[in-house]
Amino acid sequence: MVKNNMNDTINPTNRLPLTNEDTVGPYYPICYDHDDRMDLTKSIVGQQFEPKGDKIILRGRYIDKNGDGAHGALIEFWQANAQGVFRTEDTESSPEIDPHFDGYTRYRTVTGDFELKTIKSGTQLGRAPNITLTLFSDGISRLVTQVFFENEISNETDPVLMSLPQDKRDKLIARLVGEDDDNIPIYDIEIILAGEGETPFFDDFLALGWRD
Amino acid sequence: MEKLGRKLRIGPTDNTSYERTPRENLRIIPPAARDSFLPYSRVQPGIRLGENDLTRLAPDLPRADGDAIEMSGQILDDTGQPLRHALVEIWNANKYGKYAHDLDGYSAPLDPNFIGLGRMLTDEEGRYKFWTIDPGCYLARPDINRWRPKHIHLSIRGGASRLITQMYFKDAEHNDTDPMRIVMGDDFHLNIGKQYETPNIDVERGYKFDIVIRGKDSTFFE
Ligand SMILES: [Fe+3]
Repeated sequence: MVKNNMNDTINPTNRLPLTNEDTVGPYYPICYDHDDRMDLTKSIVGQQFEPKGDKIILRGRYIDKNGDGAHGALIEFWQANAQGVFRTEDTESSPEIDPHFDGYTRYRTVTGDFELKTIKSGTQLGRAPNITLTLFSDGISRLVTQVFFENEISNETDPVLMSLPQDKRDKLIARLVGEDDDNIPIYDIEIILAGEGETPFFDDFLALGWRD
Repeated sequence: MEKLGRKLRIGPTDNTSYERTPRENLRIIPPAARDSFLPYSRVQPGIRLGENDLTRLAPDLPRADGDAIEMSGQILDDTGQPLRHALVEIWNANKYGKYAHDLDGYSAPLDPNFIGLGRMLTDEEGRYKFWTIDPGCYLARPDINRWRPKHIHLSIRGGASRLITQMYFKDAEHNDTDPMRIVMGDDFHLNIGKQYETPNIDVERGYKFDIVIRGKDSTFFE
């Protein structure tokens, strides 16, 4: 019998064996969606508070091997604030945290398309502005990648982009395609799950023996 | 030669897996970027009383068809720390193998007393408990007569931990031909609920499903 990919990577310390991830299936409850979830520029709906930073719209779609949208998938978004700081348990009370910016949301896409209104994250620790996208879908357990933005000087030195061959870098850079009625720039990205033109995805379970 | 990460496996007889699984190996995340791959969720939705009892739509309404079961357990990270106040969502098919979800076209009947969704927050010890209906299996691939064994879906989110998984039942019909079960291999036992007696409560039996989830500092095994 084949070994599970995930637990293969556990080192021989006294860690507990992880429960296997599994597919989300096609029937994640639609009713757990909230209409406001795709706008991170409103921390509280109906209030005037807004996060610091330049507003942007990231528009995109997940495409399968046949060129069809990854319908019914769950997408998770995660990003730093305008100062480039992530909001976590450890940074919650830091002066660098924007109280009106969360940086996390989850969305169930009907067709594979998504449109997130947010702010462009800042640059810290040599990182270019980026958003981490995680896909949970029927047929796969979880796929992780990062999306960057066209015309950012910091793209040239970002360690994630630099770790990829040139043709793969381009797959992760959202293109500026216009602006909406409020002059908010719209970026567009196509994420190809499998086959020709495949988008690079990342391994957050590093296998033992592969470390530098 | 360039170092690469895992190559994901395609679940046999699973069309969606074939269409959506990357063919290239995953990429190694440079150490300088690791924190940015560790989402932190502060989600705490308002939860109504009784959302963890799926067996009836309201306290005085009739029970759904089938055996009422309890599913309970503790959620720990891989260092053994409990995951407190995490959001646990479950969803499962009714007794006949049918989801109430808009997109389920399976021909089995709906049960008007069963919606099949539940959620709650874990307590101080990372414990959770649901009552639901023992789900039916369903025909996933009519063209090759491949069924999904009965299972309960779970999503867990809290802090820097999150997991989407399914609980299965020991020696259940169709377990052996399930694509994800085949991909899990010998580790399948980690996703099986352990049956227990429930003499003093209004359910037929219980299943203990303890969950180990990646913790705050354990994303990258080195
Ligand atoms: Fe299912």
